[in-house]
Amino acid sequence: MVRFLHTSDWQLGMTRHFFSEGAQERFTQARFDAIRNLGRIAKDEGCQFMLVCGDVFESNQVDRKTVARAIEALKGVPVPVYILPGNHDPLNEASVYYSSVFVQGKPAHVTVITDTTPIRIEEDVQLVGGPWLSKRMGLNPFDEAITSLEPAMGVTRIVLAHGIVDSFTPNKDDPGVIAAENLEQAVNDKKASFIALGDRHSLTRVGAGERIWYSGTPEVTDFGENKAGYAHVVELDGTKVISKTIQVGQWRFIEKDRVDINADEDIEALRNMLESLEHKERTAIKLNLVGSISLSQEAVLRQSLDTTSQVFASFQLMDGGLLVLPDDADFSKLGFSGFAEATIVRLREKIAEGGIDKATARDALMLIVRLGAGVA
Amino acid sequence: MRYISLRIANYRGVSEAKIEFGGSGITLVRGPNEAGKTSLGEAIRLLFDYHDNSKHRDVIAIKPVHRDVGPEIELEAESGSYRFTYLKRFFKKPETRLIIVRPKPENYIGRQAHERAEAILRETLDVDLWKALSIRQGTEINQPILAGQTWLSAALDRAAGGHSADAHAEDLFEAVRMEYLRYFTESGAEKREVIEHRKALTDCHSEVQRIEQVIRDLEHDVDQAAGLKRELSRLRRSELDIVVEVEKRSTRLREIAELDQHLSDAKLKLEAATASEKAARAEQDNRERLINEIVDATKAAADMGESASSDLTSLNQAKEEFGKAQKAYSDAHKKRKEILEVIDLLRRDHEYLRAKLDLELLQERRTRIDRAREEATKSELALATNKVDEQALESIEAAQTAAISADAKLEAKAPVVLLRGLVDCGLTKDGAVIKLRQGEERSFPVPDIVKFAVPGKVEIEITAGSSVDMLARKAEEARTKLNDICTSLGITGADKAREAFEQRQKASRQIANLKQVEKENLRDLSYDKLAVFILGLQQSVPAYLPDRVLEPAILDNLVLAEAELREAEKVRDRAEKEWVNAESGLDEVKRVCEKWNNRYIEARTRWEHLKEDLTRQGRALESERATSPDEVISMAMDNAMTSVAKAHIGVIDTDSSLKALNSEKERELDRTAKESLSRILHRVTEADRELIEVSTRLKINGQDGLYEKLSLAQAALEGAKYRNASLIRRAAAAKLLYETMRQERDKAHHAYVAPLKKRIESLGRLVFDDTLQVDVSDNLQIVSRTLNGATVDFDSLSGGTKEQLSLIFRLACAMIVAMDGGAPVMLDDALGYTDPDRLRLMGAVLAKAAKECQIVIFTCVPDRYSNVGVAKEIVMR
Repeated sequence: MVRFLHTSDWQLGMTRHFFSEGAQERFTQARFDAIRNLGRIAKDEGCQFMLVCGDVFESNQVDRKTVARAIEALKGVPVPVYILPGNHDPLNEASVYYSSVFVQGKPAHVTVITDTTPIRIEEDVQLVGGPWLSKRMGLNPFDEAITSLEPAMGVTRIVLAHGIVDSFTPNKDDPGVIAAENLEQAVNDKKASFIALGDRHSLTRVGAGERIWYSGTPEVTDFGENKAGYAHVVELDGTKVISKTIQVGQWRFIEKDRVDINADEDIEALRNMLESLEHKERTAIKLNLVGSISLSQEAVLRQSLDTTSQVFASFQLMDGGLLVLPDDADFSKLGFSGFAEATIVRLREKIAEGGIDKATARDALMLIVRLGAGVA
Repeated sequence: MRYISLRIANYRGVSEAKIEFGGSGITLVRGPNEAGKTSLGEAIRLLFDYHDNSKHRDVIAIKPVHRDVGPEIELEAESGSYRFTYLKRFFKKPETRLIIVRPKPENYIGRQAHERAEAILRETLDVDLWKALSIRQGTEINQPILAGQTWLSAALDRAAGGHSADAHAEDLFEAVRMEYLRYFTESGAEKREVIEHRKALTDCHSEVQRIEQVIRDLEHDVDQAAGLKRELSRLRRSELDIVVEVEKRSTRLREIAELDQHLSDAKLKLEAATASEKAARAEQDNRERLINEIVDATKAAADMGESASSDLTSLNQAKEEFGKAQKAYSDAHKKRKEILEVIDLLRRDHEYLRAKLDLELLQERRTRIDRAREEATKSELALATNKVDEQALESIEAAQTAAISADAKLEAKAPVVLLRGLVDCGLTKDGAVIKLRQGEERSFPVPDIVKFAVPGKVEIEITAGSSVDMLARKAEEARTKLNDICTSLGITGADKAREAFEQRQKASRQIANLKQVEKENLRDLSYDKLAVFILGLQQSVPAYLPDRVLEPAILDNLVLAEAELREAEKVRDRAEKEWVNAESGLDEVKRVCEKWNNRYIEARTRWEHLKEDLTRQGRALESERATSPDEVISMAMDNAMTSVAKAHIGVIDTDSSLKALNSEKERELDRTAKESLSRILHRVTEADRELIEVSTRLKINGQDGLYEKLSLAQAALEGAKYRNASLIRRAAAAKLLYETMRQERDKAHHAYVAPLKKRIESLGRLVFDDTLQVDVSDNLQIVSRTLNGATVDFDSLSGGTKEQLSLIFRLACAMIVAMDGGAPVMLDDALGYTDPDRLRLMGAVLAKAAKECQIVIFTCVPDRYSNVGVAKEIVMR
């Protein structure tokens, strides 16, 4: 029986430009914290080792500080760690694994898999990895690794690979794509007892059996990752495979493709929804507003969102589909008359005419409403 | 607002004063100085401005001196829909009380009363305008500052046909302007903040591009390093292969070098043998040459002897031909000379005959001329004696006709004698012979007396009767006349006259003929020249014959002589031709003769020389043979040829061996292999160096945190873009709003200035005249006044005029706002600068304005306002 922790795509050093001030640092820290959490889970779950299947680093060109912090976090992992270089951190001339900081600081229990030579880690447990040697491989290293293998006899052979499986991508002809068929064939041929995959950020089982898995990233990296933030604990015992997933991720990326805003109630509902979200400081949100409202309603909406959005790690608002149409009620309560009223009439005419000044005219109307409220 | 009554008590020096204002129109408050007029005007403002416990110096100023009482002000007024009484007492027992009776009763005291009163004011009128319409005593009347006074603006707006102005429009405009000025300067240029935003965006962009470039370079370096490693590995494998190849080629080249040496030795041997053969051959050739030369020389000498002999024969033949040609030439020459002499004689004969003929002809011509000249001389003489010219002939013929006519008439009347010949006979009539043939009858009239006679036989005289006498006389007279004329001309009758005339005509023709004859015979000569020619010929012609040879005899005919000469010339031409031919034939033969002579001499000389040479060569051969006999030379030649053949075989054998090794190919392969090795080693060095460079760069850049740097730069760029877009959007909105609002505001100002201007001019024309025009600015100030077309700036007007226009301006404003409830105009001894005439006119202005608004005038100079028309007058003492 062998039990290990399967993880991948730590993407250390990843940055997101849409984060608000301070959020990037929290996000970065969360990724290092995830390593420690994984280490803790490995210990708690009785794992014999940890496999990191590619993209430990977001790039080979990450800062020394990032590498140093990664090493610090790895030091806290209480089991041996095997790292497979992925397409983000390939083992090329500029590889982060050849950097002086990594070479000098690497803990003894951490091993970087540099080629497809099998690694015997226990009497009956063998690891075979297909490390990426450059960003653009002519063939996924898994194919090379698996071709040269004989069926595993008397050992549990765990194959580590990195790359997207053809069933999850429309670009099936990309050189780095792994054919699902080959993976299953390798399992059927007993060349691999288990294939631990990296690259896809959502925890995913590949094929019909239990022996091919993506672990997903331990901490979410983008919108659209529907099962990110897990540790994958695998137990192989003869013919049995037991998979266990444990949540480690602290962050959420929420995307609302369509939020209808047409009335005061909608604005209120949106406000309530945002209010109800927990851990806003660890939440990135993206809203696409559609509908049609008045200037006054827009002012209310903006005010509401301005206040709420400040507390989120990222608040992206797409309002291209939100039509703001000034109506009489927008101005009547401000009691404009004389030349002020004439000004509003002209600006509204500009909006009605359309053209390049339309948006500016709308902004100008918003401005006069704001300023009018100030002097009233 | 309309004042109803005002009461003050304990106010400065006034213990109590009260005035009841007129319902509308003018209230004129008269009184001496210190009667409290000014205090009344001031009191209303203090009532509204200050709380009852105010310590403001204006309030302190109204406290009565030396009296411990509180000043009181009580105003009863209407404003908007309100009617109220408002009281204030300051200092002593301060009190504020407001009693509103309309629209619904309200009572307030204290601060509440004050605030309510303020609220009513704010609600119902424009406080600033209300204050501006008061002119305090002693202050110069200037134009009030009315711009931004919304009440007036609203009224003007309405007057201009617009809607009522918004109370906060100006404030709003100011707020909009301030917003605009956040992004733009007054002149419309973008502010530094906006510019810096743009620059920041550009900088961010550049930074992102820079880092991206570094990353691209780095990735390129990664690829290059991998490529270099692959290349180095390949190069090292190639190096090993080529080193083996080079060694193999070196061994083969050493073998080739040895064979090369062998070939070189064999070639040297061949060269030596060839040289020996050459020497032997040269000696043999020399001997053969000597022998052949003697044979040739012998033959040449014999040939030359034969040639000389042949040449001599030809020479002799040529000489013979020469003799013949000489003779032919001599004959031709003689013949030619003879014919030339004959021709000379014939030519001279011909000339002689021609001269002789010429002499005869010339003499003949001269004879003809001489004869003509003689005839002419005779004719001239005849002309000189013959006077019957044409005229004379005509007169004779006339006279004759008259005589005949008279005779005819006589005959008609006279008797006739008939004579009939019986035989042929002759008789006379009046002496004239008449022949009468047999049987002939002739009648003769007898005019007077006629005498017939038969000579020797009978004479018959017949006399006519008397009636015939007169006719006879007339006939006689006519005849006499005829006779007279004839006599005068020296002739005997008319027939003679005709004859003489004919002769005269003939003589004239003779004279005329002379010229023709001269012309024909002299031709181009003069008569003298003709004579000279004749004389010359007369001398030369006779001299020729005596000098001429006798034989042959001269021909006597020029034509024959000429024919003879032509014939002789033909003979001469033939002789000439023959002579020329003979001469050229002689020359030709002479040349042939000379040629053969020369050839013979040359052949002879050469023959001699050849014979000498032959002798000399014979001696030389003999000398050579004495040293080396011919057999010795032949043997040496055979030996040398054998040695050469042997050496040649040696060279061919060695060369074949060398060719079999293909030395050229081997050398080429060796050179190529060495060059390839050198190139590979060079490339290995270079690739090593490049790899070190790339690796160093990778070490430096690869650990520089480029990824984070790029992320940060991209984030900064996104932020800058967002901020920039946001700023530009805000700035654009502020600009559009400000510009639109300013345009609308200017438009509104322009519109509502018009009614104010109209009001001012309407009132002003009462004081000035109908040409008055004022220019009112957008901020509601009179800028200039135009009178009779002359425009003067307001500030340049006299003090009096400025005062009048300012008052008119206030009244105009008051009239405009009167529709909204209005604000009273309060004048405290105004128009102090105005002269009496103008005062009267200003009175009319005030009267007109008072029809629409309330005017309160305080004055201590009652006359100043004596022309204000209807007014409620209040006297204060």
